[in-house]
Amino acid sequence: MKKLYLVTALMIVASIILTACGAPATTAPTQAPVTSAPTEAMTEAPTAAATEAPTQAATQAPSGQAPDCTKPDVFCVGFVTDVGKIDDKSFNQTAWEGVQKAQSDGVANWVQYIETTDSKDYDKNIATFADAGYDMVVTWGFALTDATYNAAKQYPNTFFVGGDQFLSKDDNHPDWPLANLVGVVYNEDQSGFLVGALAAMVSKSHKLGAVCGTDAVPPVWRYGEGYKAGAAYEDAKNSTKTEVTVVYHSDVGFDKTFTDPTWGADTANSMIDKGADAIFGCGGKTGNGAVDAAAQRKVYAIGVDTDQYFTLPEAASQMLSSAMKPETQPVADIIKLAKDGKFPTGGLYAGPSGYAPYHDLASAVPANVDAEMQALLAGLTDGSIKTNVPPVKPAQ
Amino acid sequence: MQSSNEPGFIKNLRQWLEPLIVPLLAIITAVILGGLIIKSVGGDPFAAYRGLVQGAFGSKKALSETAVWATPYIFAGLAVAFAFKGGLFNIGAEGQLAFGAVAAALIGYALPKWLGHDIPAFIHIPLAVGLGMLAGGLWAAIPGALKAYTGGHEVINTIMMNYIALNITSFLLNGPMKDPNPLNVVARTPAIAKSARIAPIFDGLRVHWGFVLALLVALLIWWILQKTTLGFEIRTVGSNPDAAKYAGINVQRTIIISMAISGMLAGLAGAIEVTALNYRHELGFAVGYGFDAIAIALLGKTNPFGVVLAAILFGAMRNGGTRMQFLTQIPVDIISVIQALILLFVAADAIIRFIYRIRVREERVVLTRGWGG
Repeated sequence: MKKLYLVTALMIVASIILTACGAPATTAPTQAPVTSAPTEAMTEAPTAAATEAPTQAATQAPSGQAPDCTKPDVFCVGFVTDVGKIDDKSFNQTAWEGVQKAQSDGVANWVQYIETTDSKDYDKNIATFADAGYDMVVTWGFALTDATYNAAKQYPNTFFVGGDQFLSKDDNHPDWPLANLVGVVYNEDQSGFLVGALAAMVSKSHKLGAVCGTDAVPPVWRYGEGYKAGAAYEDAKNSTKTEVTVVYHSDVGFDKTFTDPTWGADTANSMIDKGADAIFGCGGKTGNGAVDAAAQRKVYAIGVDTDQYFTLPEAASQMLSSAMKPETQPVADIIKLAKDGKFPTGGLYAGPSGYAPYHDLASAVPANVDAEMQALLAGLTDGSIKTNVPPVKPAQ
Repeated sequence: MQSSNEPGFIKNLRQWLEPLIVPLLAIITAVILGGLIIKSVGGDPFAAYRGLVQGAFGSKKALSETAVWATPYIFAGLAVAFAFKGGLFNIGAEGQLAFGAVAAALIGYALPKWLGHDIPAFIHIPLAVGLGMLAGGLWAAIPGALKAYTGGHEVINTIMMNYIALNITSFLLNGPMKDPNPLNVVARTPAIAKSARIAPIFDGLRVHWGFVLALLVALLIWWILQKTTLGFEIRTVGSNPDAAKYAGINVQRTIIISMAISGMLAGLAGAIEVTALNYRHELGFAVGYGFDAIAIALLGKTNPFGVVLAAILFGAMRNGGTRMQFLTQIPVDIISVIQALILLFVAADAIIRFIYRIRVREERVVLTRGWGG
């Protein structure tokens, strides 16, 4: 009996191996049931695939088979996430939507992603695309900086785009800037400027607060200083006098500065006690704590990076706006530039600035304020309005 | 069929294969179930597994990456397996591994600065790896001593000490050991000095001498367990501490040594990852290796060579996942599902024995005697 079962088992193995090696790749690839947990994969994946990834299903299903990306007339784009999921509702997802947009716009013929599960796979995941003849590889996250730089050197005929990868010429990157590599960076001061101006215009007490992470991180400093500059700009325009208090959580180490919601809430509360009626939270969970406190005290709350109306549901009803770093459009734009032979040079590409919609508080924003906000955004984008915030905090 | 005149080599083969049956059937069953899951979410299991195999073994580069993945799994798997032999369940490999990595990184980048000049590689590498090993060993010796002298259960203590180790690591990498480069925003140490880096074996491939070391260490662990007095003592304490005590073995000392060696192996896993692969310690690297190691030790039946095979299997699955995703866009989570199923079937081998009607060990002993060897 035992032998019989052994033989059966062996036959099963053999059939798996034989079919795996022998079957031609005729079947259509699936539309990536994008789910977060393994258990979900069993029960919810089919619906999730249908509802959460409609673009993907629509764009990949008809073509079915991956085209030959090595052909010059087939433009393929690969996307490598940082350790995390493609449907994280923030960082990775918004950038991947930019890649998908390039496909639905007809710019890219084929797009594909690889989710990184461990940082040691960065090189391999990037190389998987480059070796398959992809024309462009988009890597998203600061941690992929070195892997992307090295891949760009190794594959000079492939374009590389790095999100949040502020490279400069240094010991580890001696050949920067490379002609086939661009890092997407943001003018956070402009986004801070926009929400600062908005807060100054809708504030009744003309006292504003901002609770931020450490100013040793340049983007955080730019947000905070931009916020001040925006309020000052509107003051000058409307001859008001707005008092802006920006507090950076620079008194603790890096382990704490972005993960201290209690401090954020306490600081926001003390600002509100002194009369502030709008709080800008800029700095991870620390800022989120401030935003939540502001919402509890029923003053205006302002989020950061993404539209936090969606990510902080407890504070949604008091969420005036968020200082945004849009990712979708710049990714799509760079893909188009590369395809048109106009890949950005100089190693850095400035992503757009923006502010989130007012959502539940739309009625609190008068039409003239909204018009002014649109004018500010246009002015900042075309350069006619300047924040005058330097890129990094000047040395004392 | 099972006649007494069966040639000797077949009997030997049978004895070798016997312990492999349950793990192999567990793997096959898990793979089949995984295929059904892929099918049920609308994927093509054959395309997925083809991608997995190609990604793991399909090219020189794929083989190299599989070895890279297997290396820490071998060390950490040996760590857990060694403790098992001593009757101890070391769930703390995760924390011991983290400390091994921290110590190796610190020696790697800071020692030349402290001394004020460069260190030759033949001193620097053993120092970084050795102190990483020591850090893991000391960290594991604490729950060993608690067990030996107070009876505090090592499962609870090693779990608790994981949290302590991981939080201390987080503090160090965010604070005193953080890469001071102003452009750096993540929790990681500076890169280690060139003299502390273990070289790749082949140009252009990442597989490094750490993999060879892992295989040698597996051999060494087998030798310690089977051929030395210490190994005998450890196994005796593991199977029956009372009998060991009666036989004159210092049980307390043996427990501490078992845990210390187990921790040294886990520390080695972390130290090698730093010195041979990442060239720095970064928070979030190697997350879960210590827990995967438990599965690997169980799948390898706590036999050092079994651990090597299980580690290579797990490494291959982790590595091949990239190509599977690339070809089919099936989420890599399926790999975790299959690994979990394997673990389930190995741990609860009654399921496998029931499905495939394999007799339990007691009967097998009778059968073996029946072959009349």
